[in-house]
Amino acid sequence: MNSRRMVGAGIAALTAATLLLTGCSGTDGSSDEAGATTGTLDFYTDKAAWEPDFDELNAASEEQAEITLNTTGYSDAAQYDAFIKQSFRTQKSPGLFTWHTGDSLKQLVDEGLVAETTDLWTKAIDEGWATEGLRAEYTIDDKQYCVPMNIAYWVMYYNKNIFEEHGIEKPTTWEELDAAAGTLKDAGITPYYQTSTLFTFQWFQQLVAGTDPELYKGLSTGEVKYTDPEIVEIMDIWLDQHEKGWFSDAGSTVDPAVGLKQGDFAMINFGSFFNGSLDGAGMVSGEDYDMFVIPAVNADLGTTPVAVESGPLCVAENSKQKDLGLAYSEWWMSADAQTAWNAARGDVAFNPKATVNDPMLADLGTTVADGEHELFTRYFEATPTPILTVALEQFGAFNANPGDPMPFLEAIQAEADKYWADQE
Amino acid sequence: MSRFLRTATLVALGIVWLLPVYLLIINASKSPTTFTSTEAWIPTDFSLFANIADAMQLSGLSDSVVSTLAYAIVSPIIAVVVGAAAGFAIVALRLKRGFLWFVVIFGGTVFPLQMVLLPLFDAYSRVGLYDTHAGMIIVYTAISIPFSAFVMRNFFTGVAHNVFEASVLDGATTWRIFTRIYLPMASSALVAIFILQATFIWNDLLLGLTLSQSDNVRPIVTTLSGMQSTYGGAQMSTVLAAAVLVSLPTVVLFLFTQKFFSRGLALGQY
Amino acid sequence: MAVLQTPERERTVGGLPEAAHRPPRRKTPYQAAARGFIAPGVLMVAVLLYLPLLWTTFLSFTEYNGLGDPEWVGLDNYVEMFDDPSFVGSLLNTLLWVAGTLLIPVGVGLALALLTWNLPGGIWLRLPFLIPYAISGIGVGVIWSFILSANGALDQALAMIGIADPPRWLVDAPLNTVVMIIAASWQGVGVNALLFTIGLQSIPKEPLEAARVDGATGVRLFGSILWPMLRPLTAVVVGLSIVASLKTFDIVLSMTKGGPGRASETLALTMYRETFVNSDYGLGSAIAVFLSVVTLVASVLYLRQQLSQKHEM
Repeated sequence: MNSRRMVGAGIAALTAATLLLTGCSGTDGSSDEAGATTGTLDFYTDKAAWEPDFDELNAASEEQAEITLNTTGYSDAAQYDAFIKQSFRTQKSPGLFTWHTGDSLKQLVDEGLVAETTDLWTKAIDEGWATEGLRAEYTIDDKQYCVPMNIAYWVMYYNKNIFEEHGIEKPTTWEELDAAAGTLKDAGITPYYQTSTLFTFQWFQQLVAGTDPELYKGLSTGEVKYTDPEIVEIMDIWLDQHEKGWFSDAGSTVDPAVGLKQGDFAMINFGSFFNGSLDGAGMVSGEDYDMFVIPAVNADLGTTPVAVESGPLCVAENSKQKDLGLAYSEWWMSADAQTAWNAARGDVAFNPKATVNDPMLADLGTTVADGEHELFTRYFEATPTPILTVALEQFGAFNANPGDPMPFLEAIQAEADKYWADQE
Repeated sequence: MSRFLRTATLVALGIVWLLPVYLLIINASKSPTTFTSTEAWIPTDFSLFANIADAMQLSGLSDSVVSTLAYAIVSPIIAVVVGAAAGFAIVALRLKRGFLWFVVIFGGTVFPLQMVLLPLFDAYSRVGLYDTHAGMIIVYTAISIPFSAFVMRNFFTGVAHNVFEASVLDGATTWRIFTRIYLPMASSALVAIFILQATFIWNDLLLGLTLSQSDNVRPIVTTLSGMQSTYGGAQMSTVLAAAVLVSLPTVVLFLFTQKFFSRGLALGQY
Repeated sequence: MAVLQTPERERTVGGLPEAAHRPPRRKTPYQAAARGFIAPGVLMVAVLLYLPLLWTTFLSFTEYNGLGDPEWVGLDNYVEMFDDPSFVGSLLNTLLWVAGTLLIPVGVGLALALLTWNLPGGIWLRLPFLIPYAISGIGVGVIWSFILSANGALDQALAMIGIADPPRWLVDAPLNTVVMIIAASWQGVGVNALLFTIGLQSIPKEPLEAARVDGATGVRLFGSILWPMLRPLTAVVVGLSIVASLKTFDIVLSMTKGGPGRASETLALTMYRETFVNSDYGLGSAIAVFLSVVTLVASVLYLRQQLSQKHEM
């Protein structure tokens, strides 16, 4: 056999093997015709763990809107973002995908990549399906983009058994919270959870917004510097609490839900989606654990600030499935859809008319809407990405080796200076 | 060293090596609702099968098994043969500038895989390979070739060149020499490459995540990885149970291929 | 790509019967056939792995956030990369990984191969070291985090033998990098042992017997016969270890995410951080290109030296 036949044989073998397998390839009857508003909608999400819940919801969406989702989950959020951005350039531009509010959404909108949803929002507000406050999170230059997939309030979860054992009531003021932490520490129990990677921002967010919401806002617009004396003062409160030993070991990699269950710490500041993890770890809602809205550091604020996070469902402007995606989005906003979604996946509902099954989460929804609470955007969405990356790292380093806050703040401010200079 | 000492050393080291595996299995067997991290070394209960069932249900693992098996078998086989052919060309046929060509193939490994993904996704979706079995086989094959070529090239350098020359004098064609003499002679190396690459592909996450979307095309670990998430998802013992389940086929593969490495290959006879 | 062209400047017959009658001492009588044998490998690697590399190299000279069009900025990204003090830390961590990986998995792998060689039951004794490689990466990350966590499995074991105040394994640098190297070694040793075993098996019996007759055992046998004859497979193991350790990513991402702060970041993680977390594709690509060039140069220097000593190509 000569060399050419050799190459030929190699290629033939490759082709044969691949053709064999292409025969049973993954084409799955998705509705590709432009303009269709019923059928199977391809849906991409970085919340891969929710895939079974979306599948469960298909029964309701099939019945009420004649659309079923074909869900593809991604596990690495950062790579998911890159994948979605890349997909806008291809035939695979997504009909429905999850994204983030804030800076990330604005980037897509600026490039004209996301379908407008102003009409959907107008209808939703008219029907009482969503609040004005939430609409603001989805508004860029007076137009709306995407619809809310989920909403979470950042509150304090606590181990009820530990609180009862030490006669601690739900704190309603900052002083009571401090007193509770002191009591716990004296009894040999670490009051608060902390970590050195990723979720390192919440206590900073809570301390700043709870001291002065304007200061918090200033950080996200660049008007306030991380090295300003007000911020340093707040960091000193945090450092003081570190020195009192109020935070759990930064080197622990134990699942926070398990940590709360086994009493590694008594309280954890987390988003209201945390109920799912706690239930999964075998704790009973309202019996083993409960939650409270964290009181403001500054008692004179009038309203108590509560961090809110909302993840959007978006439709790509140039997707073949744009109309189908928008039809699903419209259904998604409705009270029926949100009640069905809440049955599939227990969470707080953005739609006030939806039925929430877990009484604790239903209460939380009512509490934050009572006029005495003020929602503010979570640090994760409020902060431009490059600054956020550095801030998460620096807060993590601070948690691991608490000390003079200045070097940490300077590192964050250096990145912020660079970022805001680029925006000029 | 005496036989006894060698055996004793290996047994002692082997036990140390198996300790994390022990931890993996006993913790995968704990019920998520009673799980604590404070009794790491002590088995508390046996819920392994319940955890595995949970994992299968959560991740839809079963859809992925057949296609992942196909990738993990077909791609390494092609890669082993292609790599051996390259090694044969360089060593036995003394390809001109062989080292340079070898570096060209080997150079395929120096680039961080993460950066290959986005251009590949773009290209795949343009030529219609995205989310197809063929596309996955091709990419897994390409990824496996450099390693395969490297091992085979170096393995063949251990073979005296007069083996080749003698065969030529017998009137054999290069193809025949390759398939009848060099490949059989290299069976332990071929099997080693095969199992290592099959394991790599079976456990691949990155390529599967980027280049496929359908449940019946996505590799198994890709579906598994989604289970773990801050936003709710599986508990640690469920994830570990899933890892145990997914690892079983590769462990079995290693078990059954060990005999290939048991006998010394009497290369001296050539 | 230029490398793909295989110029047909020799005779096109290329068939073997003719070639076979040529004097065997002629150096390169089978070039056409040789090109045929190497072509499938070169083609697949070039199309699937080199084309994306070209794109990334292009991006490294641009400002690009994944949307819109890349904007040419020349060498800006490279300047920014070398200006960043964290880049140096990341480079040092990566070098620590290279050194550690050459020391532990390669050394222990060789020791295991030698210990099990010609030992009755050797294959079963080698198995415990191969099982970690068979375990899915997700399981490995989870279980080692569990072991090295504060009050984790290791700390609990240490407490049993009376060590109450263990080091903060995953928090303090460079300890965290060291323990992650050990975790990675736990997984990788078996593969190296397997490759060395193949090398030992390909050693011809005659010289070995001859040496034994001469009374060579232990260290002398190893030094005079085994080590030189193992060279081809040692080159494989060391070459692959250099490449793999320079690209260390998965285990660090799953265990410390490069933290706390950026204390345990490797170059591959820095690349990931810039490209995927910060959407700074240009800077991320520049790091990728730098990393690739270092990897290529290191491995080619090593391999050229290793491969040219005994077997002339």
